[in-house]
Amino acid sequence: MMKKRKLFFLLLIIVVIVIGFSIGPARKKARQHVNYMTAVDDHPLNCLSCHLYTQRSGFLAKMINASYLSPYNLAVAPNGEKLFVVAQEGNALLTIDTKTNRVVDKIAVGTQPHTVLISKDGTRAFVSNEWDDTVYIIDLGTSEITDTIKTGNGPAGMVLCNNETTLYVVNSFSNEISIFDLNTKKERKRLVAGNNPVGAALSPDGKQIYISSRRILPHKYRTPISIEITVIDTKTERVTERKILNDAYLSENVSFTPEGDLAIATLIRPKNLIPSIQVEQGFMMTYGIAVMETKKNGRIVQLLTDQPNSYCSDPFDIVITPDGKKAFVSSSGADIITVIDLTKVRKLLAESSSEQLKQYANNLGVSSKYVIKRISTGANPKGMKASPDGKYIYVAERLNDKISVINTETLDIERTIDLGGPKRITVARKGRRLFNNAGHTFQKQYACYTCHPDVGEDGLVYNMAGVGMGRNVTNTQTLRDIGDIAPYKWNGHNQSVYKQDGMRFSTFLTRTEPFAYDDLDALVAYIITGIKNPPNLRYNPTGKLTDAQERGKKIFYRTHTNDGKEIPPHNRCYTCHPPPDFTNKRLEDVGSLAETDDTIKFDTPQLNNLFNAGPYLHDGRAQTLEEIWTTYDHGDYHGVTSDMTKDQLNDMIEYLKSLRDAKFYENVNVEEEVKKYNAK
Amino acid sequence: MDSLKQNRMKGVNLIIIVLLSFGLFGFSPGKRDTVSKKNKNSIPDTGEMPVYGNWKTFTKKDGLPADKIYCVRVDGDRVLVGTSNGMAVYENGTWKTYSVKDGLAHKGVLSIDVSEITGDVWIGTLGGLTRWSSGSFHTFTQLNSGLPNDIIYSVICDGKDVWVATGGGAGHYDTYSDQWDIYMERNAPMHEPWTYGVCAGDSKIFIAAWGGGVIEFNTKTKKFRDYVDPDEQMELDVFPDDGVVHDITTGVSYAKGILWVGTYFGLSWYDGAHWKSYFDHDSGLLSNFINYLKADGNVAWMCTDKGLSSFNGKTWVSYQKNETGKTGKIIVTKGPRIAEGAKTKEVAATSSICHNFVLGIDFNDNEIWVATSKGLCRGEKIK
Repeated sequence: MMKKRKLFFLLLIIVVIVIGFSIGPARKKARQHVNYMTAVDDHPLNCLSCHLYTQRSGFLAKMINASYLSPYNLAVAPNGEKLFVVAQEGNALLTIDTKTNRVVDKIAVGTQPHTVLISKDGTRAFVSNEWDDTVYIIDLGTSEITDTIKTGNGPAGMVLCNNETTLYVVNSFSNEISIFDLNTKKERKRLVAGNNPVGAALSPDGKQIYISSRRILPHKYRTPISIEITVIDTKTERVTERKILNDAYLSENVSFTPEGDLAIATLIRPKNLIPSIQVEQGFMMTYGIAVMETKKNGRIVQLLTDQPNSYCSDPFDIVITPDGKKAFVSSSGADIITVIDLTKVRKLLAESSSEQLKQYANNLGVSSKYVIKRISTGANPKGMKASPDGKYIYVAERLNDKISVINTETLDIERTIDLGGPKRITVARKGRRLFNNAGHTFQKQYACYTCHPDVGEDGLVYNMAGVGMGRNVTNTQTLRDIGDIAPYKWNGHNQSVYKQDGMRFSTFLTRTEPFAYDDLDALVAYIITGIKNPPNLRYNPTGKLTDAQERGKKIFYRTHTNDGKEIPPHNRCYTCHPPPDFTNKRLEDVGSLAETDDTIKFDTPQLNNLFNAGPYLHDGRAQTLEEIWTTYDHGDYHGVTSDMTKDQLNDMIEYLKSLRDAKFYENVNVEEEVKKYNAK
Repeated sequence: MDSLKQNRMKGVNLIIIVLLSFGLFGFSPGKRDTVSKKNKNSIPDTGEMPVYGNWKTFTKKDGLPADKIYCVRVDGDRVLVGTSNGMAVYENGTWKTYSVKDGLAHKGVLSIDVSEITGDVWIGTLGGLTRWSSGSFHTFTQLNSGLPNDIIYSVICDGKDVWVATGGGAGHYDTYSDQWDIYMERNAPMHEPWTYGVCAGDSKIFIAAWGGGVIEFNTKTKKFRDYVDPDEQMELDVFPDDGVVHDITTGVSYAKGILWVGTYFGLSWYDGAHWKSYFDHDSGLLSNFINYLKADGNVAWMCTDKGLSSFNGKTWVSYQKNETGKTGKIIVTKGPRIAEGAKTKEVAATSSICHNFVLGIDFNDNEIWVATSKGLCRGEKIK
């Protein structure tokens, strides 16, 4: 009886709400609310699009969302009979029978697995777990994890060498390469890599390893950028060369030709020093490869895979067929695989002058000389592998939960393997596909992902002004865990992600039609619901602070200077950066206004996971956290720090580096923290 | 407190003297020469102590960027040289210079060490710390990193850790965790943050702390202890062998369980239980004014303002340039101290170290490289 009564009242409330919003003053209020949140007056009045699909936890969130597998990288068994797929969000290693095209095994691995390697005898798999700082060694006979190797922060690409007695692991977050002795499972040493290294490839003779990297090297503010390809000698286990790729970033992967004379890496060439209005003229972001001659003092030539008026955004993986004739590049933002005739590339290198080769890096037409086909795939093609006989290329369609199989002769997709992920496409998943696809930008020049790789930020400074070109340059901000920290944009002008990604987005960034409202709703749902920060395993793995971090926390919450003077409340760290998000969500002046900025205050940024979010300040002028206070705050505008000693500043920065995602600080009471850390 | 102030003043005066000295001494580079057979045979038996001769001098004329050489470090087949005008690298018989425009933090290069693990070269300069790794320079300064201070007097690599002695404390950089620790008077038993030398050995870090003697940091227990001059006298060592000879220490080096401590007032030796002191007036040490020292196995090398001395606990062999010309002398003192029956014999040498104001040394198998305020010289092992 009670149950029936409850149900009746629930239905009654729903009916009242529906009628209320359909007619009368409630509808007017709702319209005003939607207009305010979306900054347009014609967004459909649909409560569900905002309030249902942006649910992050609880029953409703579980009901409307789904757990996808998201295949990321893969490996093929030496006999070609099995395919091993890393399911990045499924946290699993999937085994596929290549004859039946069925998933025959699913082995649970660590969080956010990145890469899988298979031993030459096909008995063992090595899986790097990027968010666990481990590599699992798996017995493929029993599907058991036999060993867990502790790595540096963010293990990604791997290489087995020296008769598989040595394992190289690329630590993508801590910018190193760990070298492990597989007999003892002990780490022998770590070498410094480029910034955010990811991909690794062993030369055919086993003597060298090339490591690609994504983020740019330190450079003078607002000058051309570069990234590093790290070269390691496997005999001495030392870095022998740091090849510089100028005007490029986000080099995800690298591969050798079978002859070993060339190594080819994917890359993006951003034009971030000019106003982004340039997108309308084309050529704001271009995509391609770096062809590196491996001989001493070998040339490095950058070639684009784009064509005039149509770009192949966000290249991820590169695979070269065993005969060395073709290279396949997964253009993950364009949902295509670009096929390159390497014989034609060699011919081009042989016939071109050094000046011509230099110009090719900016020549959209030159790809017609060597790109022989662009093969359409499912959503977001990422990792690829060639079958041992070279007849097939397997492609991980990350946002499609499928593997496509390309015939290397016909250059067509011969078949598709369904990995068994959810069949329905949720609203957030749809938004994620939009986020990763460049189709909504003028001439498909870039996707949201391009500047927000892994939904973080690319570390570049852009001038996104439609007017006042050259003014108001801004540092790309992360999109991770931003659901609760409106307003958005450095000037705080956007009260919601709807506004941020709505009309403004097309006006200043995509220079094409704005997103249709259902697409915009989906994109917002993805951004609001789907993006976690990686765990801060490097600086705060357990939640227990180190001594230095604890001292730094005391400084963060201090109310008085070293000489006992009270710090004005508005100039204390915690006032503007209170947990859990470490932002007061207000506009503040921290003395960072540049001559090229309009006279404005800046949105207080969140500090969660800021350890890997450099450069810092609204225009990215501070390359390190230290520089915020040592170089760019001369009047105690950005908190009171001038009384601090160098070791105190170090401690405070150690604390800031320890900050994790907001969820960890949900129950922190600021007043109690202030009281605790200022007790005599 | 007064004694601390005096101590500090004295330290400042001495540093000024050192810096002025760099510019005051004259130098005439000599051609490659050899010790004559007669002279070689006349060198007394030095036991296990090596003797070097056939000195060759390198100056700006040979391709160095400056004649003021602050430090030298042998790295396999190449020699890395810190000068007042950049870092020079000697490889395959030619010199190549790296300067600020290449990415060096500052042209004044005071100290160099090479990581045995990675091969990376760590360069301490007057304007920050630079890591030189396979052609790529990365600079740490007090403004862009946790480096305590930009004046790096000494840098060493100890496994994955890098330690620096700076004008603002000793710094420890863990290359794996990317964390800096600063040790100074507030958190370590130092009188002031000025540190001058650092070395590692047996899970311990030894820091030559200006006015604070030697600070020992146990890397396992993370505990400090200090070694200071027990007699607290600035001008003389009242009680011999009672501890480090002076609180103003300029260098430390640890090898084979022995800690060698250089000061501007003499040399100290410590085996973990007993201290011994050596002075210019009671031993074969050329001068109490020790700029730098380095132990290599059983032998310690003292770089002084009057030449280069080496000592293995039994015998002294010193090298001194004559006031004029290119010749010099080898001075052998058999026995640790005069009071213990030590006897000295001088042998004329047709070639010598290039200047008596010696600032650094390093070795490879059969060669010794000596940094001086007027040139770099290389000697060959002749005995």
